Amino acid sequence: MTFAAAPTLNPQNFIDDRPHDGVFRVRHDAFLNTALFDLEMTRIFESTWVFVGLESDLARPHDFVTTQIGRVPILLTRAGDGTLRGLINSCRHRGTLLCPLRKGNQRVHVCHYHGWQYSSAGRNLGITGAAAGQYPANFVDDTHDLLSVARIASYRGFIFASLCDAVPTLEEHLGEARIFLDLIADQGPNGLEYVPGTVSYTFDANWKFQFENGLDFYHFAATHSSFVQILRQRPPPPLPPDLPTDLQDPDPQAQGSYSFPYGHAVTWSVGIPGQGAERRPLPRDPTLFAQVRARHGATRTKWLLRQRNLTIFPNLQIVDIQSLQLRVWQPLAVDKTRMVSNCLAPIGENNAARSFRIRQYEEFFNPSGLATADDNIMYAFCQAGYAGATRGAGSQGYARGLGERPAQQRHDAAELGLRDPDWAYGTLEFGDESCFHAGHREWLRLMSRGS
Amino acid sequence: MNNAENLRLATELLIHEGRLLDQRDWSAWLALYAADAVYWVPAWRNEGEETADPEREVSLIYHPQRVGLEERVMRVRSRLSVTTLPLPRTTHFVSNVALVPRCGETIGAQASWMVQIYEPRTSLQRVHFGHCEVTLARVEQRWEITHKTIHLQNDCVAAVLDFYLL
Repeated sequence: MTFAAAPTLNPQNFIDDRPHDGVFRVRHDAFLNTALFDLEMTRIFESTWVFVGLESDLARPHDFVTTQIGRVPILLTRAGDGTLRGLINSCRHRGTLLCPLRKGNQRVHVCHYHGWQYSSAGRNLGITGAAAGQYPANFVDDTHDLLSVARIASYRGFIFASLCDAVPTLEEHLGEARIFLDLIADQGPNGLEYVPGTVSYTFDANWKFQFENGLDFYHFAATHSSFVQILRQRPPPPLPPDLPTDLQDPDPQAQGSYSFPYGHAVTWSVGIPGQGAERRPLPRDPTLFAQVRARHGATRTKWLLRQRNLTIFPNLQIVDIQSLQLRVWQPLAVDKTRMVSNCLAPIGENNAARSFRIRQYEEFFNPSGLATADDNIMYAFCQAGYAGATRGAGSQGYARGLGERPAQQRHDAAELGLRDPDWAYGTLEFGDESCFHAGHREWLRLMSRGS
Repeated sequence: MNNAENLRLATELLIHEGRLLDQRDWSAWLALYAADAVYWVPAWRNEGEETADPEREVSLIYHPQRVGLEERVMRVRSRLSVTTLPLPRTTHFVSNVALVPRCGETIGAQASWMVQIYEPRTSLQRVHFGHCEVTLARVEQRWEITHKTIHLQNDCVAAVLDFYLL
């Protein structure tokens, strides 16, 4: 099939999904069309579960962080009673941005415009000059509390919220992708925390390039060849003497992926000996690592130490490679995206492991790192290139992994307790692209759902 | 040496460093740094405070040895990174240089800096700005940078942050 020359905004026109014919294409306009972008804000970001924060970032009563869901400003708090609240960060009086700060601890949030006051639970505590205000009876009877998100829930310390009530439970939404959030959370016997120093940056391209690239092992050798060259010329860094010696993955080198309902997917790999678990921060704290092993056993520990890139659609990626990065995107325009990146670490990690984790994180991630900067420019190249001659055609970038699967039956899914996952498996050069499909299918489902 | 002479030395070195970066004379730029020089660009903890401990907090860039800078130069020279295809044009400015007390045979200085950046591919312009602190130590007949801390005020950067943009 060829795409129509001028698609209407019917989302169905943007994705050609015929797996039995070996066809999956996304029209380039899906990354370029501003009206479609507005629809994505309404029907995706403001209509489904999105990741909003980490529980350990809101450890104490009255802690707060501010963020965004789609275009809506959010004040995320831990109320005095210990419950999490997802409040709309907008004063009920005139709609003013209530809390202008990124994070902090406040029992009371006062709107600086006319002085209306709210508790950390969002309850209205006072309307300035209420008695003298000659308010009508219906106003007095009305609620003046902050508006809330429709749903808020957390899973293993990862907080999600939805502005729309018509969503499944968080548990159902995450489905078996939860098992991969478990593999992150299990690394912190005392919980996980953000290492201080959030980095945010922008790139001049559509958010979906980040979504895809975060699952894309295929680009690594070409896009990051300057980084690979740097790694190759370095003398091998010494291993710490107290590093456990039995970290070698027993399984053959491989790359694979799992895809889940509601758009989530994960890619994983068993790397070259010497470049696997030995170069991960987790085993560098022997005490913490011993606890993790004792609690989770050999098989799960093997999985904990594998490289994994997890995407929870539509806005979260956790990159569990040589460090541990949690990043979210906030689409600003069809061709501009803001990223917020944090280094995740086990609470109570020793100094050696923490320092190693931070150096590995800085070296790779963020606009100042030696790899992410290349990705950011590559997205801009894609944005520019998509507007070119191939505009009416479908992309050829979704086909790897769509052909015949290797005959070998994998036991990985059973090891992890996955019941019937959509999987792909290949060599270290595989570079699966079929793991992008789930997100685009969820994109289509949400976009077709109406507002 | 008196303070006036130290101030002149530090000012000239900072101006010279910016010019070398603008001229893409990477070898001469690297040669300004001692082999064990610390090059540090802290991240921000929140709106008002930078991270202060590179061992327990995230930095934008932290190289405790010059080899980290040498690798970044190698990356630029390799022409393999799309961040350099093409390289942005830069103009470095430095001002408000003042001495900071240091013990021993070193010179400490602080300054305000700005880099105007132009991207030839997109015609977009941007600016990075902030403060910096530098420590200079005498090695035979010349002064080397042994420590440079670069405070970047506008830390939500567009796509790329590297040594030639600071």
